[in-house]
Amino acid sequence: MDVPPARRRRRRPRLDLTTPTLLGLPLGWLAVFFVVPIAIVGAYSVDALSLDPGPHAVTLDAWHAFLQSSIYLSLFWKSVKMSLLVSTVVVLLAYPLAYYLALSGTKRKYVLLLLLIAPFLTSYLLRVLAWKVILGNQGVINSFLVWTGLRDPDHPISQLLYSRFAVMLVLGYIWLPFVALPIFVTLESLDRRLFEAATDLGASRLQTFRRVTLPLSLPGIMAAFLFVFIPTLGEFVTPSLVGGTSGYMYGNQIVDLFGTGFPDWETGSVLALFLLGIVTILTIVFSRFLGTRQAPA
Amino acid sequence: MNVALSRTGGWLLRGFFAVVVVFLYAPIAILVIFSFNDSQLPTFPLSGFTFHWYHQFLADADLRSALAASAIVAAISSLGAVLLGVAASIALVRRRFPAKGPVSALLLSPLVIPYVVFGISLLLFFHAVGLSRSLLTVVIGHVVISLPYTILVLMPRLQQIDVSLEEAAYNLGAGRLRAFRSVTLPLLLPAVVSAYLIAFTTSFDEYAVASFVVGTRTTFPIFLYSALRFPNQLPQVIAVAVVVISVSLIVVIGAEVGRRLVERRLGAATG
Repeated sequence: MDVPPARRRRRRPRLDLTTPTLLGLPLGWLAVFFVVPIAIVGAYSVDALSLDPGPHAVTLDAWHAFLQSSIYLSLFWKSVKMSLLVSTVVVLLAYPLAYYLALSGTKRKYVLLLLLIAPFLTSYLLRVLAWKVILGNQGVINSFLVWTGLRDPDHPISQLLYSRFAVMLVLGYIWLPFVALPIFVTLESLDRRLFEAATDLGASRLQTFRRVTLPLSLPGIMAAFLFVFIPTLGEFVTPSLVGGTSGYMYGNQIVDLFGTGFPDWETGSVLALFLLGIVTILTIVFSRFLGTRQAPA
Repeated sequence: MNVALSRTGGWLLRGFFAVVVVFLYAPIAILVIFSFNDSQLPTFPLSGFTFHWYHQFLADADLRSALAASAIVAAISSLGAVLLGVAASIALVRRRFPAKGPVSALLLSPLVIPYVVFGISLLLFFHAVGLSRSLLTVVIGHVVISLPYTILVLMPRLQQIDVSLEEAAYNLGAGRLRAFRSVTLPLLLPAVVSAYLIAFTTSFDEYAVASFVVGTRTTFPIFLYSALRFPNQLPQVIAVAVVVISVSLIVVIGAEVGRRLVERRLGAATG
C-alpha cells in the first residue's frame, strides 16, 4: 500500500448519495422552520403580509418611520449601552478566573471549571427568581437590613428591584459563568513554550502577560464578549421581571408590538429585523476577525 | 517556577475565584433556605422550618401538568435535534461537498439569533400557514434552537474517531449504514448522550421562544413566569425552584463525569 494518503482518499468518492441524505433533513428543517419564518417577518415589515385583510402594496413606510423615530432608536441605543456595560464587566471578571484555571497549574482545573459553569446550566428563570427574592422591597436584603436595624422599615432601599441596575446585575450574574469558558479554552491552548521564551529573553511576568498572553488570548476575549453582548442586546425576559419601567429594553418593545394591547406587526417586524441585522453584521465581522487572526498561526 | 503566575498572584486569583463562586451560589443557597421557611414572604428573620411548600407544590395539578408538558416537549425535541445533529455532524466532518462553509454557518446560526426575533418569526410563520399554537409548535421551535448545540458537542468527538476504523469496516464489506451502526455509533455514543442531555435541559428551561408559540397547555417555564406575578404563590415556586435546580445540577455534573469516564475508557480501547 504505497498509495499516498491524499490520493487514496480521492479514490473513494466522498460526494455520493448519502451526503444529500445526511444534510437533507437538518437543512430542510432549518429552511422551513428558521429561514422561511424570518422571510415572513421581512414580508410583514414591508406590508406584503399584514393583519389587515384586503390587498396591500409593498411599502417601506414602516422602515422610514422607524429610522426617523427617536423613540425606537434611542431605546435601541439604551439597550446597546446596557449590554456593552454588562458584557465588558463580565469579561473583565471572567478573564482572571479563566487565567487562574488555565495557567495556575492547579490539578483540579476541570472540577473547578465545572463548579464555575454549573449554575449556567440550571434554570434561567429560577436564577432571575432568586434575585427577585433577594432584591425586593420586602426581599432578603431589605428585610435583613431592617432586622439588623441598619435600615428604617419605612424606608427600604427601593432602587434595588425594578431598575436598570437590577437588570444589569441579573444579566451579569446569568452570563458570568458561561463567559469564562471561551477565554479558558483560548488560554488553555496557548503554547507554554512562548512564556518560557519570554522569560528567557528577560521579560517580567507582567511584560509576558501584556506582550504575549493578552494579545494571544484576544480571540477568546472577543468571542466571550460577543457571547454575552448578542443575547443581552435582544433580552426581554429579565427586564420584564426585574426591570420595571427604567429597565425596559428594546426586546420588550418588540414583544409589546406583538402583544395583545395594540399589536403593530409591521413596526414590530421592522424592529426585529433591525436587531437581527445588527447581530448578523457583528457575527460576520467577528468571524472574519477570527479567521484572519488564525490564518498566519 | 510557574512563568504565568507568581505565588502571591496565585493566591490572589484563588481568593477571587472563591469570591465569585460564593457570588454565583449564594442566590441559589438563599432559595434553598427560604424554601424551608415557614412564612408567606421570603424575609428575615427566618420564622421556622417547614416542608409545607414542598407538599403544596406536589399537590398542585397545574404545576405537575406543566412539568409533564415540559418533559414531553424536551424529550421529543431533543430526540429530533440529536437525530438531525448526528446526520449534520457526519456530513460536516466526514464528507466533502460544495458550499461547506455557508452550510455549517446556517446550521450553527440559531446560536446567535436573538430569541425574541426567532420567537416572533415562528409566531408569524405558524399564523401564515394556519397551524394553531400547541406543544407541537414548541417542539418545532426547540429542535431549531437545540440543533447547533448538538452539532457542537458531536463534531469534536467525531473528529477524534479514527477514519481508518470505518475504512476497515468498508474493506470488510460493510455498507455505509452498517459501518456507522457497528463502528462509529458505539464510539460516538457518549457524545450522543451528552448532546441529548444538553438539548433536553435547553428545551426544558426555554421560555423566550416558547412564550410566543405555546398554546393553552403551558410548559414549566411559562407556568413559572406567570406564577412569579402572584406573590401568594412565591414560597411554593421557590420550593419548585430548589427541586429543579438540584436535579439539573445533578444531571449536568453526573453527565459530564460519566462522559469523561466512558471516553477515557474508549480512548484507551481505540488507542
